[in-house]
Amino acid sequence: MTSVGDLDTAGPAASTAPGEMVRVPGGTFLQGSPDRTLDWLESEGQAFPRDWFTDETPQLPVTLPDYLIDRYPVTVAQFAAFVARTGYVTSAERSGGSMVYSDYWEIREGACWHRPAGYGSGVRNRDDHPVVHISHLDAEAYARWAGRRLPTESEWERAATGPSYRLWPWGDTWDPGNANTAEWTGGTFRGLAEWREWWSAIHAAQGPVPQTTPVGAFSPRGDSVDGCADMTGNVYEWTSTLAHLYAPETRCDPTIHLVMGRSRVIRGGSWMNFRYQVRCAERLYGDPTGWSNFALGFRCAGDAPAAGVEHNGR
Amino acid sequence: MVTVLLSAGWAHRGQKTFACHEGTVRDVIKEFVESYPLYRRRLLDDDGEPLTYYNVYLDGDLVETADRSRVTARSDSTVAIIPPLAGG
Repeated sequence: MTSVGDLDTAGPAASTAPGEMVRVPGGTFLQGSPDRTLDWLESEGQAFPRDWFTDETPQLPVTLPDYLIDRYPVTVAQFAAFVARTGYVTSAERSGGSMVYSDYWEIREGACWHRPAGYGSGVRNRDDHPVVHISHLDAEAYARWAGRRLPTESEWERAATGPSYRLWPWGDTWDPGNANTAEWTGGTFRGLAEWREWWSAIHAAQGPVPQTTPVGAFSPRGDSVDGCADMTGNVYEWTSTLAHLYAPETRCDPTIHLVMGRSRVIRGGSWMNFRYQVRCAERLYGDPTGWSNFALGFRCAGDAPAAGVEHNGR
Repeated sequence: MVTVLLSAGWAHRGQKTFACHEGTVRDVIKEFVESYPLYRRRLLDDDGEPLTYYNVYLDGDLVETADRSRVTARSDSTVAIIPPLAGG
């Protein structure tokens, strides 16, 4: 791949907005991946076939007005303040557990935002980590309380990729030091077997503790053109968008077709993933009925104040 | 035969479709695991019953967890087993 996107990182940062939000300027950008990205994915020897990624195609122009989006994912401290003020009980707390990964995904009793690895775990010294075990319902509840909303999928992707297409927020050249992914924690993997070895060692030592990092830990080197941090890795992030194909004629893995119109789009990949699953245009789909896991969080968005009335400072 | 469909994310060696006999969705999942024990930890609990965290679709329709023991998959049906985090 060429590195055309790298040049944009030297551009001016977007203007700041209240409460650690970034104002993304309106305009038209290309959402989704071009065919050349799917060609590259096939050539990389990664684990998945081409039709695993065709849901990112075709690449289409999308026009957005100015909008606000959180610079960082919502943190444990922010979510704790929401719970303290409202008494909110998350989906995981109501159901008695949430999903963690041991040797496979499993529901861990007691796992929730303040017990991320289940009973006996906690969030001490993790105030500035992104909150996890957040269902779509939880994320929407927080956003409403905060006077914000979840970003649409288009808003999320534009904030990650900038005004022109790029594989990762900083450009088209992978750098494992720019984001919290499995490749930062464990080095370059040659396949899922090596990933399993990496995770098994962590799990044996710590249990199913999320390997999140403080928000902004990779700033500014991993930031997007507009100054958003952690758009690649750290935690998966909910959007408000109902799963849909970009074009009705698109054909992808049959199971992906089945969740269209049912699941909500999730973006950004997480600390668990390789470089391929944390690209700006990568799409995942989450069950919105109360499911969550130990790598799943969110950030908020909002409509931009009209020009001239914005209080432009942090 | 009933076709059991898995996502590429769960497929081993690229195999995404499998054949099972007619039966309730619960029975199809159990038979599938019996034939392919590699999937036991993903699909069954310690008592050998289907776990509830994944979604099951019968010919494109979501089968609620409570209905898995009552809804029957006929020959030529497709039972799709999809994790709550799909795609990627």
